[in-house]
Amino acid sequence: MTQYAMIIDLRKCVGCGACALACKTENNTALRSNGQTHNWADFIHETTGKFPKTGYKTTPVLCNHCSNAPCVDACPVEPKAMFKTKDGITMHNDERCIGCRACQEACPYSMDEVKRDGAYGEYSVISYNEEGEPYQALFSDSKELIPGCTTSGTHIARAAGATPPHLTRYGHPEYDDTRRSGIVEKCYFCDHRVKKGDQPYCVESCPAGARIFGNIRDSGSTVAKLLKKHKPSVLKPEAGTQPNVLYIGEYGT
Amino acid sequence: MKIKRRDFLKLSVATGAAATVLGKPTLNAFAAAKSGAVAGEAAGQWKPSTCQGCTTWCPVEVFVQDGRAVKVRGNQHSKQNDGFVCPRGHLSLQQIYDPDRIKRPMKRTNPKKGRGVDPHFVPISWDEALNTIADKMMDLRNAGEPEKYCLMRGRYTYLRDVIYDAMPKIFGSPNNISHSSMCAESEKFGAYYTEGKWAYRDYDLDKTKYLLVWGCDPVSSNRLVPSAIKRLGNVIDQATVAVVDPKLNNTAAKGHEWLPIKPGTDAAAALAIAHVLLSEGLWFKGFVGDFTDGKNRFKAGQKVDESTFAEKETNGVIKWWNLAVKDMTPAKAEALCDVPADQLIRVARGMGKAAPAVCVMMGPGAAMHVRGGYNAMSVHALAGLVGGCDNEGGSLQTAKIPVNKMPKDILEKYQDDLAKKHSKMPKIDQRGTLAIPALAKGKSGGGVCANNVANGILNKDPYELKMVVGYMNNFVFSNNGTERWEKALEQIDFLVHITTNAAEFTMFADIVLPGAISKYEKYGFIKTKANRYATCSLLQPVVEPMWESINDETEFPFRIAEKLKERGFANLYDGLRAMYPDPETGKKANTAKEFTEYTLKYYTAPLWDGKKDVGGDKISGWQEMLERGMWNSKPYKYRSQWGGKFKTVSKKFEFYSETLKKALKGHAKKHNVSVDTVMAKSNYTARGELAFVPHYEEPFRNGDMKKYPFTFVDYKSRLNREGRSQNAPWYYEFKHVDPGDVGNQDSLKINPVDAKKLGIRDGDQVRITSMGGSGVCTARLWEGIKPGTVAKSFGQGHWATGDTAAADFKNGVERGFNNNTIIPWDIDRLSGSNARNGGQAVVNIKKV
Repeated sequence: MTQYAMIIDLRKCVGCGACALACKTENNTALRSNGQTHNWADFIHETTGKFPKTGYKTTPVLCNHCSNAPCVDACPVEPKAMFKTKDGITMHNDERCIGCRACQEACPYSMDEVKRDGAYGEYSVISYNEEGEPYQALFSDSKELIPGCTTSGTHIARAAGATPPHLTRYGHPEYDDTRRSGIVEKCYFCDHRVKKGDQPYCVESCPAGARIFGNIRDSGSTVAKLLKKHKPSVLKPEAGTQPNVLYIGEYGT
Repeated sequence: MKIKRRDFLKLSVATGAAATVLGKPTLNAFAAAKSGAVAGEAAGQWKPSTCQGCTTWCPVEVFVQDGRAVKVRGNQHSKQNDGFVCPRGHLSLQQIYDPDRIKRPMKRTNPKKGRGVDPHFVPISWDEALNTIADKMMDLRNAGEPEKYCLMRGRYTYLRDVIYDAMPKIFGSPNNISHSSMCAESEKFGAYYTEGKWAYRDYDLDKTKYLLVWGCDPVSSNRLVPSAIKRLGNVIDQATVAVVDPKLNNTAAKGHEWLPIKPGTDAAAALAIAHVLLSEGLWFKGFVGDFTDGKNRFKAGQKVDESTFAEKETNGVIKWWNLAVKDMTPAKAEALCDVPADQLIRVARGMGKAAPAVCVMMGPGAAMHVRGGYNAMSVHALAGLVGGCDNEGGSLQTAKIPVNKMPKDILEKYQDDLAKKHSKMPKIDQRGTLAIPALAKGKSGGGVCANNVANGILNKDPYELKMVVGYMNNFVFSNNGTERWEKALEQIDFLVHITTNAAEFTMFADIVLPGAISKYEKYGFIKTKANRYATCSLLQPVVEPMWESINDETEFPFRIAEKLKERGFANLYDGLRAMYPDPETGKKANTAKEFTEYTLKYYTAPLWDGKKDVGGDKISGWQEMLERGMWNSKPYKYRSQWGGKFKTVSKKFEFYSETLKKALKGHAKKHNVSVDTVMAKSNYTARGELAFVPHYEEPFRNGDMKKYPFTFVDYKSRLNREGRSQNAPWYYEFKHVDPGDVGNQDSLKINPVDAKKLGIRDGDQVRITSMGGSGVCTARLWEGIKPGTVAKSFGQGHWATGDTAAADFKNGVERGFNNNTIIPWDIDRLSGSNARNGGQAVVNIKKV
């Protein structure tokens, strides 16, 4: 039996942002629009106490790949567009998705519309691609800042041969390397990499080594060993979702 | 409407009509292609280059698919970043694929220059651009005034020698102005006039037991970013981490002690720590030495007889105590710097206990003040007191990188009489004049004073500049006192900018050339260090340059040299070809591309030509050098400078700086004045012997604090690729990774106590005003900022550069505001450094 999980060691994390940006380069996610962040990885920040006894903490967030996933329950499509794989990833099939956003509404870690950001504790692990709108708006604009002298979004995409021009091409039977409009999207633990024996890209890119990924059912795995050693915490335990993203260590001293 | 549609969808699903009702592609087309096994990542290749987003200068690799740059990681050979990059590395993909990049040469058609004046740029051919530039250069030579040509260098690689050194010198101008003093010359001043090294230090984080971070945030900026990110989690477990900063930075948030100091008063805190270390007998005797009879005579307020103490690796600890330390008790320091005395005592005792494995990491916040030179010395002196200087677990100098030097002898052969004479004329930054000592490396006028160039231009002193070429720079944005720079650039008759974007500097240009994006599109090499390893890393075009971009440092000089030759001045062309033949074949370059390759080969040859064992990585041949992209030294040997090998006058670590004394006396003698006069002209308060030791100076404020009650704190965002990442939408999306900041806004952090007094609420628009200027941004109420100070990261406030960076590019409207407008023009005259920290900017804040 496999249950993939990610441990985030907050002791090692310095909140630098590399994971979330690396994710955007790996998964070619769009810029924020219509209150949808398209940040499959993101952060929340908390400031506590009064000056000079001020505490500050960053918590990286992503889809929790819950064992008891409300998004899967909520998906009205048959067979479900949002579903659990046999190795415990909360997967999504782009083709079957009808864009009803019931998953987004059901997910305790998602918001219908993110008006602010992690500075105020706001984020959404599920984003929706507005029907009929270009996914990569930056590269769908043909305006030249200085006519004839500077390039434009469409020009650069055409010259590079991809939208976005830095598109990382990959293939997966359930999801595309860029998603069409009118559907939802989120983190899939980089299953297109994991199935090839690689780590999720945020794990591979973390300069602090704060993210550890593996099968918690395998007692020999690093994640299983860490869980034995540390008492992990999860986000919103009261929601009963049984997240498979687990936090260990204290951010500060 | 969105909600309605969703309800409709749910209903549709229930009725089983979704697919047809919505008229979506029926998905069958996708289904056929996508069923079955995981295809995974499409083929591609990791290609080495170097990231120049900050001054860490990381060796990196770029993943290239179908000729496109798609991902970034650290170079897998790097012992400095261990194969990882910080967020900047990823962010840079939005620079190469920036929709607002300049794709071809352009010229100004509106002769009127000024901020907010549309230059009416139109595209032109390369020939027209280069011919125009060459004609202007010939005019200067024909008029016998080649010194009126000036090169302004921003970020650079070490191929800079061509555009920065060789080109102006053979042409006949002394004016090659680097940006170095905008970065941190006063920081180097602190290290040089104590341990004799005009450079940034490396740090041995793996072995440290006490990390004292002063005026910087090593996991965010300041030259060892990925290496510090990797280690901080371990360091907080193995060591005590104390951070001096008026705002809570990332390291402070994770560390044990936060010392929110009053800006500019750093020396008071440092001297108080020294006071405790000495009076409590906690200094490291293996470095500093001891009283001959072992009896501690350091008592508050009491002078000590020099003859009673025998120093080991240091010079003048007793003189220093008597002149500047004995009276700086923690209680006195608290009154000056607002850090509690008991905290200063606790930090000092912790350092003493951990000595000598103490890392004193001094950054620009401690140093870049109007009177910052002595703050830098005071902080760095602590590294000496605890024996953490050049020692295991402390601050380190660096291993050598055995690359070739510029062939100066050949260069000189191609200087004609005009060039020889005029390239020795005084420089436009007035370095070395009485009021601008700029004492880099112990010499009067030894270093640049970039911010003073604006004055040189405006006052035509020592003469008028008629032509400026700038590359990878944006001086009118990145120097404090932007208004002065705007006026200065308006004065320049002919300005050329080699740039990726139409930046603020570009808006004053007559000819604009599209520059290659560093890291993705150009050749070059850099020297850097971290984690005990010195590194030489290549920049390479990992993809074909987008557009008509050129290598600023080599292709531009070569192509201009060709044009000058056509006009009868062949020295530059002949000189460049003679200086840099292919080291393998001896062949001289015939094209700009060949020239670039040969220069790169020339400089790096000792690392790969196998002629001499240079230590470190073994690289066999040019091809392997290109494939690896980098070279690591052997680890730096601890205590290399101990035993009388410090490059100071006394050969020791100097608490009483014989080196600074010599430099100041030299400058004073040059101008026939006393050292006291030099100090007065340099806006320092010390007189007599005090000028030769690290001491406290009352911080200089530009403005009356009754009118401007807050000190302004400027710092670097962890997403700043200097001033170049603010046209990247990801910058704004993730700006909240800077503690206290909010994404998509320019956040001025203000303590809630202060905000309440001013009736300001979180998210309010506020106007901030100083003697330098005024701007509007968003108030962020935050407990992580010291009351009485406000902080905002440098970066936003562009009024040009691109559609994302500016609020309104066409009309020159800024997005947020530029800290350098609020921070009035000023400098630290002794080091030549820009003065932007230390609360020289005082401000008032009003709700808009």
